[in-house]
Amino acid sequence: MFPFVDGFHWTFGHVLFLSIFGIVLAVIAVTLLVSLRRTARESKPGKAEAVRWKSEFHDLTDDERRCRHDLAGRVDHRHCHNEFDCRQCETHPKLASVTAAEFDFSTYGLDYPMDRFYHRGQTWVKRESDGTLTVGLTDLGKRLLGQPDRVNLPNTGDKVFANGRGWTASRGGVEVRILAPVDGEVIATGGPDSEFYLRVKPLETNPNLAHLLRGQEVSGWVRAQLEQLQILVTPAGSTASLADGGVLMEDLPKAQPEANWDKVYGEMFMAP
Amino acid sequence: MAASAIKPPLTAEIAASERQWIARGLERCSPLAFAGWMAPWLILLGVGIYATYLCLRYGLGATNLDNRFGFGLWIFLDLAVIALGAGAFFSGFLLYILKWKEIKAVISSAVVLGFLCYSGAMAILAIDVGQPLRSWFTFWHPNVHSMLTEVTFCITCYLIVLTIEYLPILLKNRRIKQVPSFLVFEWELHKLIPVMAGIGCLLSFFHQGSLGGLFGVMRGRPFAFREGFAIWPTTFFLFVLSAAAVGPSFIILTTKLVEKITSKRLVKEQVYQTLAKTTGVLLTAYIALKSVDTLIWLNSTSFNAGFAPWEYYEWKPFGGWILFAEIVVFGMVPALMLLSKRIRTRRGVIVLGALLACTGVVLNRFVMTIQTLALPTLSFDEFMTYMPNWVEFAVFGMVIAYAVIVYSLSYRYLNLFPQEKELSAGNVEVNDVPVR
Amino acid sequence: MAAGANEMKKTNRKYRYGMVIDLDACTGCGACMVACAAENNLAPAPAKVTDRTSITLMRVFQVKEPAPMPARKTAFVPMMCMQCDDPPCEHVCPQQAVELDPRTGIVDQMVQRCFGCRYCMAACPFHARYFNWFDPEWPAGMEQTLNPAVAPRMRGVVEKCDLCHGRFHEAQDRAAMEGSDNITYQPACAEACPAQAIRIGDLNNPDDPIQVQIGKPETFQFLVKLGTKPKMYYQSKHDWVKRLAERDSANGNSNRRDA
Repeated sequence: MFPFVDGFHWTFGHVLFLSIFGIVLAVIAVTLLVSLRRTARESKPGKAEAVRWKSEFHDLTDDERRCRHDLAGRVDHRHCHNEFDCRQCETHPKLASVTAAEFDFSTYGLDYPMDRFYHRGQTWVKRESDGTLTVGLTDLGKRLLGQPDRVNLPNTGDKVFANGRGWTASRGGVEVRILAPVDGEVIATGGPDSEFYLRVKPLETNPNLAHLLRGQEVSGWVRAQLEQLQILVTPAGSTASLADGGVLMEDLPKAQPEANWDKVYGEMFMAP
Repeated sequence: MAASAIKPPLTAEIAASERQWIARGLERCSPLAFAGWMAPWLILLGVGIYATYLCLRYGLGATNLDNRFGFGLWIFLDLAVIALGAGAFFSGFLLYILKWKEIKAVISSAVVLGFLCYSGAMAILAIDVGQPLRSWFTFWHPNVHSMLTEVTFCITCYLIVLTIEYLPILLKNRRIKQVPSFLVFEWELHKLIPVMAGIGCLLSFFHQGSLGGLFGVMRGRPFAFREGFAIWPTTFFLFVLSAAAVGPSFIILTTKLVEKITSKRLVKEQVYQTLAKTTGVLLTAYIALKSVDTLIWLNSTSFNAGFAPWEYYEWKPFGGWILFAEIVVFGMVPALMLLSKRIRTRRGVIVLGALLACTGVVLNRFVMTIQTLALPTLSFDEFMTYMPNWVEFAVFGMVIAYAVIVYSLSYRYLNLFPQEKELSAGNVEVNDVPVR
Repeated sequence: MAAGANEMKKTNRKYRYGMVIDLDACTGCGACMVACAAENNLAPAPAKVTDRTSITLMRVFQVKEPAPMPARKTAFVPMMCMQCDDPPCEHVCPQQAVELDPRTGIVDQMVQRCFGCRYCMAACPFHARYFNWFDPEWPAGMEQTLNPAVAPRMRGVVEKCDLCHGRFHEAQDRAAMEGSDNITYQPACAEACPAQAIRIGDLNNPDDPIQVQIGKPETFQFLVKLGTKPKMYYQSKHDWVKRLAERDSANGNSNRRDA
């Protein structure tokens, strides 16, 4: 193989054979090195969270990737390819102006105030008058967690990134990560018993919240979520109801302790 | 009393912490049941390790191989396993080069299977050669005219490729991906996997072919010798085609087996249909070419070498039936079964067809190794048969056990079937109900 | 070692050694097999060795004529490496452990490079290659009988007849010392044959006495149609023996007995 090895002589066969394998090995090595180099570059805390979200979004099924405009009835069967970040989406502004067909707005007895923006990880964002944003769990999110055993909030001064880790909560031995809906620096923290979980100072003065759900989209989204929850919580072959007098029960883990909450939380909070 | 009071929470604790390694939303049996499943395989592995020790310590005299059957059970099974493992490269080709999105449902499983087939074959080869420590000589003094050199280079490179392809699947484990740099590495590697798939296709094409060439070039063995194009005998191309044909079938068989064992649905019916159809098309092409090749060989190649071809089939137990079985029973029949949509969509046909197709190719590898060596060459030669001894079976059993153990662990802790979550959600998707 | 004052003259002459074996003269005594084993330092076979795992670089086959008993004749066919000019074993070896020496025409097996894949054994139609299935062991004291000119082989490698390469080297040294251009030697089998049925010669040399033998009508080779160009010739005046040459011309000759 090598010219210095005893008895070696170059022939056409050697040149062809060894150059092909040299190229193959080089391609393999370059591929590995490139991904290692990129890894070193992307492994910084903020960037790693962005990559995590990309990777997790990549694994979502088409059903889980329904476009917000599909949820709102403005368009049929559209799936998101922008990691749910409509700020980057070219089609979003065009579709946003489409008037939806007649749509029966309802949040199915859940409390979704319309002064807020909603993120698919069961959080809401509210613009406060002082320019800060408050972040909290939606009504569905609250009912899913019930009274959490433990909540692990970021420290003030920490930065959170949209679709990155916001905080974690655990209930019944299952820990779940809650996605942060916006970019910002945490200036105050609340908790399950407070009005909000986080108060953040946005990184820009006038933050773009175009990626969050509003209005009719919320209705479609809540509906889709409730359907999925029904499937997740119902044991196969039975038709247990999650509703208690028409409205979803307050503390779901308490009402349905036999359900696989690890799985439910994973799906509902988009934490695979 | 205190111990019995503590015990249940302890096992529950183990189960809970073990649960942290299993992907969210996937149902897996209890750690105890899993240990029970693994135990017999671990015993088999142990027996095989002892047999390996015998071979490495006392030489290959511990086996039933002899001067006539220098290649025996091991080489035959290596060839078979590598042909079946072709699903890894071929599904990679379908997914990343031809962009058949459906294949995504089985690609991880195919990669793991490919990795196991190839690493298992390499392990057996390391025991099969007389001086394993000299294996690197092939890289130092390669004879570029030898098909075995090509095989060695390609398989070594391809095993590296398969390892790299396995990495992202491994790094996706629920706990492992919590480490940010592992997650990022997985993501970056994942983006470059099409490059690996392309390289894997190139390497597979050449080594699957060279494994066929291995026998096709043996001009001293007219039963195996074939003419061909340039330096490649026809067996080169037949082996590539047959491996590509049964690769998807082997994926079908293993996935169905896992579904059976775990009583779960892992892959949508449409994916099985696509895989089965792929086998059907390729197997049809293979059998057509194989028939032409057989006719040329029977009527010309063999005569020119001074061998009357009918004589090959006069030696029992290898009668003409073996040729008939290879081409018709395990060739044309499964090809038609899987090719015709009307037949394929019937219940159970896919599994039967895939099983027949895989058997056919394994039989072909058997014929090329064992029958080739059993047939006499000199006019006063004897026809010889050979029976492997327990050491050979045990070493092979060890590789099977290794594959089952690693696959079981992969299935338990890694998300091999992305559709599993969706299919186990209890609902049947509307578009998935077989339309009659 | 004996160089020094005597300048060794390197010859550029190319040899192509071949042998002619007279099957009519061969009595099947097996002296060649014994001489070969002794010359090549073959270890005594361990108890569990069978006919199929033993090493017999030279092997005499007994072949019976396919005729009814009283008329049936027997031939003995000594088989060893045919030193093919187009050796299938050389082409298949992945690490160049087999080499056709262009200076002698001898197919050399570099056992120290062989890793025992046995592909060459599968490729050889003459079954002339043998694998060391066991560690070679000599009973105490027997190592005194070893031939110092030939290195014993270890377990796990393939070996075969190399036309007594050790003897060739001695002859080469001798010729160089004498300043001669003519390297002649006798392999152990040829030397041992009481019937002088085995003759070696240089096929490149038109004046070599072996050429006369090769020219005779009773001379034939085994499996020529395979195209490996063997350099071993056989002679017999009996048609049924000559028909052994090719497989399809010798139907019925398939019962073989080892001598």
